[in-house]
Amino acid sequence: MSFKKFFFAVKLSDKILLIFFVFSTIALLLVATILGGSWQQLFVLITMVYAATFVFTYIVSKNFSKSLIDLAFKVQEMGAGNLSKRLKTKRRDEVGQLINSLNELMSRLQTGVAVDVSKHKELSRAKTDFVSLAAHQLRTPLSIVKWYSDYLMSGDAGKFNEEQLKYIKEIFHSNQRLIDLVNSLLDASRIDVGTFIIEPKPTDIIERAETALTKFYQEIAKKKIKLEKQYDKFGMLSLDPRLTQIVFENIISNAVDYTPAGGRIKLVVKKTEKDIFIRISDTGYGIPREEQPKIFTKLFRGEKAKKLEADGSGLGLYVVKAIVEKSGGKIWFESPSLDLLLEERQDADDLPLDKKNMGTTFFITIPLRGMRPKAGTKKLENLKNIKKSKHVNA
Amino acid sequence: MSEKAKTILIAEDEEAMLDALASKFEKKGFKVIRAHDGEEGYTLAMKEKPALLILDIIMPKMNGMDLMEKVRQDDHWGSDVPIVMLTNISDPENVSRAAMSHVYDFLVKTDWRLDDVAKLVEEKLEQAA
Repeated sequence: MSFKKFFFAVKLSDKILLIFFVFSTIALLLVATILGGSWQQLFVLITMVYAATFVFTYIVSKNFSKSLIDLAFKVQEMGAGNLSKRLKTKRRDEVGQLINSLNELMSRLQTGVAVDVSKHKELSRAKTDFVSLAAHQLRTPLSIVKWYSDYLMSGDAGKFNEEQLKYIKEIFHSNQRLIDLVNSLLDASRIDVGTFIIEPKPTDIIERAETALTKFYQEIAKKKIKLEKQYDKFGMLSLDPRLTQIVFENIISNAVDYTPAGGRIKLVVKKTEKDIFIRISDTGYGIPREEQPKIFTKLFRGEKAKKLEADGSGLGLYVVKAIVEKSGGKIWFESPSLDLLLEERQDADDLPLDKKNMGTTFFITIPLRGMRPKAGTKKLENLKNIKKSKHVNA
Repeated sequence: MSEKAKTILIAEDEEAMLDALASKFEKKGFKVIRAHDGEEGYTLAMKEKPALLILDIIMPKMNGMDLMEKVRQDDHWGSDVPIVMLTNISDPENVSRAAMSHVYDFLVKTDWRLDDVAKLVEEKLEQAA
């Protein structure tokens, strides 16, 4: 018995002892008065009786309190989360009943918690399956719109006048935005269930950066943003070309969306000893300090970001972070950005503080040896379900 | 390229998609065999032995994956005819099955423009020639 438990036992037996002492003292004084005798005899008798009482009550109360003490400590352990703990007892009294009820309660709690966990898993699985299925089903009509507007734009179905062509282009581009959103949803749901595939093959990283940039040239020109590029020379690297492009598209898209007209964006792709080092700086609105810890969270969108760019999905940086980290790389950012702003700030001194843009720089490293391949693990169980609803073929 | 060398088969059950794709290839001077389900695709492929196959995955009667594997069992023409899987289902299982059957072009429909699909097919045919 530990000191703590012993102390507890003594405390509990105190009250019982006190009662015994009071009663036995009164009894002994009564006996001595009736029988008569010397004070010495009385003293010896009282001492003996007290000693016997002490031993007796200690044994009785210890036996009784031991069960309660054990109970108290086991309950403490259960409270700390050990639900598999059970108490043993052979007692049939109230303490025994209490222990049995407690054991039963624990069993029910334990199965309850287990059911809850598996329910949670089932629910999150169903949710991801739904997103995945919906994304595939959505892709069919999206590709039909894409192909027909593409077909019309190419002039294969006859020539259009300028106005007609403008409308067709609008259809094509809006549709493309939907496709990008569906793809991000699909990527995010694959990250969630762990079926995200990385298939590295010889890839020209600069070409991927350039392809990603082409999507934004129109917007960059419209906002009169000054774009600077600084590339090292790379040979073919072992990267997943699709994922590499997704990374570039997302960080460029953020820089373009959140940089006001007339701003600057600088994209650097450098080679360090062990890594590909990507840095994109802008003179944009920056990320408020209180939102900084959340920007890689799925579906998170900053308050200001929502006002500036209503279309964002809040999936971009979540997907980018997963791609970079699953490839063995790192991603971080700083806002205010020190890179471009030191020079910019000199001209901006007379602006009121809240009008000054903080700018953001994103940093990404990917190992120079390339991305680690990752195979998906989940089989396509939905194939049969899709077949049944064949009118929306994927 | 001879006419035989410019004959391709497209198996796709979504009529609108089949039509967009086939029209594009016909504009480019290809002869296109159109199949609306997997079984029709297999029968026509074995009969006409086109220079290249473009297959959708989810099709009635026989899916694109099974069609591809059956074609590959043919010792002469089928074992090395270029096959392009054009689909919106690019799940790991399908990707690995395709890789095992020597299909390296696994295109997600929404990611491709018609001209780029046509360009890729022309490259494949030149490589095969």
